Amino acid sequence: MALLEAEQVVMRFGGVVALDNASVDVDPGEVTGLIGPNGAGKTTLFNVVTGLLPPTSGTVKFDGVDITRAGVSRRSQMGIARTFQKLEAFNTLSAFDNVRVAVEKNHRAKWKHQRVNDVAHGMLGKVGLDDVADVTVGTLPTGSARLVELARALACRPRVLLLDEPSSGLNEEETTAIGQLLLGLVADKDNDLAVLLVEHDMSFVMGVCARIHVLDFGKIIAVGTPIEVQADTAVRAAYLGSDEFRGAYVGVDE
Amino acid sequence: MTFGLRRSVVVTAVVAVAIATVIAVFTWAGTPVTAKTFLNATYIGLTLGALWAMYATGLVVVYTTTGVFNFAQGAIGVFGAFFYWELQMNRGWHPILALFVVVFLFAPLLGICLDVLVMRRLRTAPLVVQLMVTVGMMVFLISLVGTIWNANTPRWVNAFFKDSGGIDLGPAQLTWHRFIVFVTAVVVAVILRFLLYKTRIGTAMRAVVDNRELAALNGARPNMVSSLAWAIGSMLGALGGILIASELEFNPSNLNDIVIIAFAAAAFGALRNLPLAVVGALLLGLLRQHTETWLNFGTNFSKAHLGIAPLLLFAVVVALPQARLEVGRVVSNLRRRERYTNWWEGLIGCGALMLCAVMFSGGWLNFGIWDPEAWGGPALNSANAAMALALIGLSLVPLIGWAGQVNFAPLAFAGFGAFVYLKLAGDTGNGYWIPLVGLICAPLGALVALPAARLRGLYLALMSMAFAQGMALIFFPHEWVIPRIGVGRQFSHIELFGITFDDRRGYFLLMMSVFVIGVYGLVLLRNSRYGRRWMAMHGSQAAAATVGIPVVQTKVVVYAVSASLAGMAGVFWATVAGNLSAGQDFDLLNGFQIVLLIAAAGVSIPMAGIFLVFTPLFTGLSHRLEDTGNVGFLVEILDQLVVLGPGLLAIGMVFNPRGAIFEMGRGFSPILPWRSDARAEIAAENAQKREPEIGELGLERPFTPEEVIAIDRRLGILDEVVPKEGYGAARS
Repeated sequence: MALLEAEQVVMRFGGVVALDNASVDVDPGEVTGLIGPNGAGKTTLFNVVTGLLPPTSGTVKFDGVDITRAGVSRRSQMGIARTFQKLEAFNTLSAFDNVRVAVEKNHRAKWKHQRVNDVAHGMLGKVGLDDVADVTVGTLPTGSARLVELARALACRPRVLLLDEPSSGLNEEETTAIGQLLLGLVADKDNDLAVLLVEHDMSFVMGVCARIHVLDFGKIIAVGTPIEVQADTAVRAAYLGSDEFRGAYVGVDE
Repeated sequence: MTFGLRRSVVVTAVVAVAIATVIAVFTWAGTPVTAKTFLNATYIGLTLGALWAMYATGLVVVYTTTGVFNFAQGAIGVFGAFFYWELQMNRGWHPILALFVVVFLFAPLLGICLDVLVMRRLRTAPLVVQLMVTVGMMVFLISLVGTIWNANTPRWVNAFFKDSGGIDLGPAQLTWHRFIVFVTAVVVAVILRFLLYKTRIGTAMRAVVDNRELAALNGARPNMVSSLAWAIGSMLGALGGILIASELEFNPSNLNDIVIIAFAAAAFGALRNLPLAVVGALLLGLLRQHTETWLNFGTNFSKAHLGIAPLLLFAVVVALPQARLEVGRVVSNLRRRERYTNWWEGLIGCGALMLCAVMFSGGWLNFGIWDPEAWGGPALNSANAAMALALIGLSLVPLIGWAGQVNFAPLAFAGFGAFVYLKLAGDTGNGYWIPLVGLICAPLGALVALPAARLRGLYLALMSMAFAQGMALIFFPHEWVIPRIGVGRQFSHIELFGITFDDRRGYFLLMMSVFVIGVYGLVLLRNSRYGRRWMAMHGSQAAAATVGIPVVQTKVVVYAVSASLAGMAGVFWATVAGNLSAGQDFDLLNGFQIVLLIAAAGVSIPMAGIFLVFTPLFTGLSHRLEDTGNVGFLVEILDQLVVLGPGLLAIGMVFNPRGAIFEMGRGFSPILPWRSDARAEIAAENAQKREPEIGELGLERPFTPEEVIAIDRRLGILDEVVPKEGYGAARS
């Protein structure tokens, strides 16, 4: 059974159907991709899974437990962590304190100061931000702030990590490093970590994901390995468009 | 969308009706119920409601189109009413001409000026700044009216057609003035509804608030739309002010109090729904007039019927559905360095402060202004009043400064603390009870925050205002709460460590010590996991929740902490003054002044509390100068500063949202020889220059090369090109 399952999720905003019976499942030990053209509903699905949006209908299950009605912080404590497409860092705090807040909330209360600090520094080190630990995050460039968010999410001791376009604002080298980091994390059996990745950088997605869900107009149109998905005719139609105008939007940031 | 009412709404309504019934049974005044009395009350109630509806529609129009909740709406009305009085009553203009000049020339101009000079810049500002600036504007306008037209002179404004009798509707009569009021309010509401939902410009107005850039690309002109909204809002305010002026006692604060009622009405329409806001206002008017007619609350609760608006606001807030955590509203505009002092510099600063306090209370630091003979008097009195306010101000630091939640009721909490202390240790003045006072005040804070904490921050601010108003009208005037004493002190002097602090010097030193300890305690709190958690929540509530911080609970806790600190500070406030008066000390404007001053000083830094000495010290100084009988113009300037200063300073937050103390630290720390790091920071900042607002670029003309660089830098794609300084240095 999958660790995280979103089943038949429907999300309506007035007349707009952002998610239309979308089902996604995420397994531990691998990176699962979630791709689709702009406005397909990827971020909405993230918001439903993390509890920021209550779905119109459908259920979200985590480790077999129905969490559709659970609050955001409750889900986080259960082990669901995420990053945001539009930055949501704690801007007035330093990079180190951003991570430390998460460590303090998600590790044992009786931990000594020193141990909390060590863990927080370790997380910053993992994403390569040792140098800017004391810099106020609001003043960092977008790419670095994005990495702070990643370190903060990792500090929550997640069992499922939801990443919303981690590569935007990063250069190619850094993107590769993030890919390696993710593969390393899920490969480590002690972590028992599942990753759900929303990404526009196709070479990145195809490189790290074991399975990919493709979302279009709120519907899941294909699920499979990168090779299967790339060969899928529905996916090709969604991305390249049945008429030539749709193709122009592929890869453009939302 | 379901058509059934939400359960919370039904429950609230049932509870409210039940409570109202009980109150009505116990306080029935015995006025004979006849068709005439009933209709009379109904007519007056509807008239009042219609007037409030004008204010409320003004609020809603500005809020829906600009996203700024205009606390100054009532103050604009006051300004309009006084200007009308000047033209019509004082200069003898024809009423219609005066009305036309004020409502159709002066008011729109005022609105446009407000928008262009101040409000337009608030669009992307954090909520705390928006609130401080609009409340600052309200305080400023009210004080300005008081300066131009002496507020203590009794005035009145004639009702329209006051000699022509009225219309007979059933057994009772409706005066022409009231008839006009009612018709005007309805017509205005209908026109506005039509304007917003059926016209092109109305669509543009509603579109701009959702997405300014997108609306601009589609041909709406955001700046024009926002000016139009402010002009309309201001016209409605002025019209309401003029029409209501003949119904009420004509003075600035009385006319301004209306705005709380308008807030309640607007909240009834969830701040966005015009028809519901009008219904809310009419409901309030009817409730108010019928309570006044049929119920008698006795002398202890003589103003209780005025408390209906705060109560309705409370009920509405309880009934509103939980707000979603918003994504994409992160605090921006930060400098690289948040703090300008390290711990030992802070310690030296506190030491210096204590030294000054000792010298001041000893009389060695009197700048030759104060007469040594009169030493124990005015100077120390002012200083003590100042320190008490500074202590109350400290309680706002964790709440406003770190957690980003607003509380306009610090004096209500302080007063409650004073009340608890009076009941616990009133006769002995035993100071060891003070911590217990803090413990008792905490749940009250939690109680105030609880219903509003799950909503957007604006509601918490409104709720605190309703709480302050409710306490001032219903709780504090009660004889049992703070008994009046003919002569002497209500609050006996504090006794601590075997010392009775019964002279002003002792008090001053005691309070200064408490202040310094408080500052240090707060610094420790900020650097603890709790302080960090609160600041994280301020940064992004959505992200805080996703790392496991329960946002609603955290807000309630911070509110409780703040209330507890305010309660303890209130003990000093009350014992220094000796007496508190329900009518004056708990006036809403006094509470606003504390909040505005500390916000303008830089509320995230505890030491900013010391800036609250502003009002009492300047007042003392001006009194002193007056006594010595020289430099009259200086007295004049000081007096004006005291009155206009808090509002002006708060309005200044548009340009310097973080507060004065940061600017001072920024200017001061590079001077210190050992602060080469600060010098480097400033240099790096200057090198970066001011970047243009990215979101606005390209709308009106093509990008310039500099703007392209700025955009690239914001997107983080220029890092390889930029040399190792500025943004690039942080990454490598």
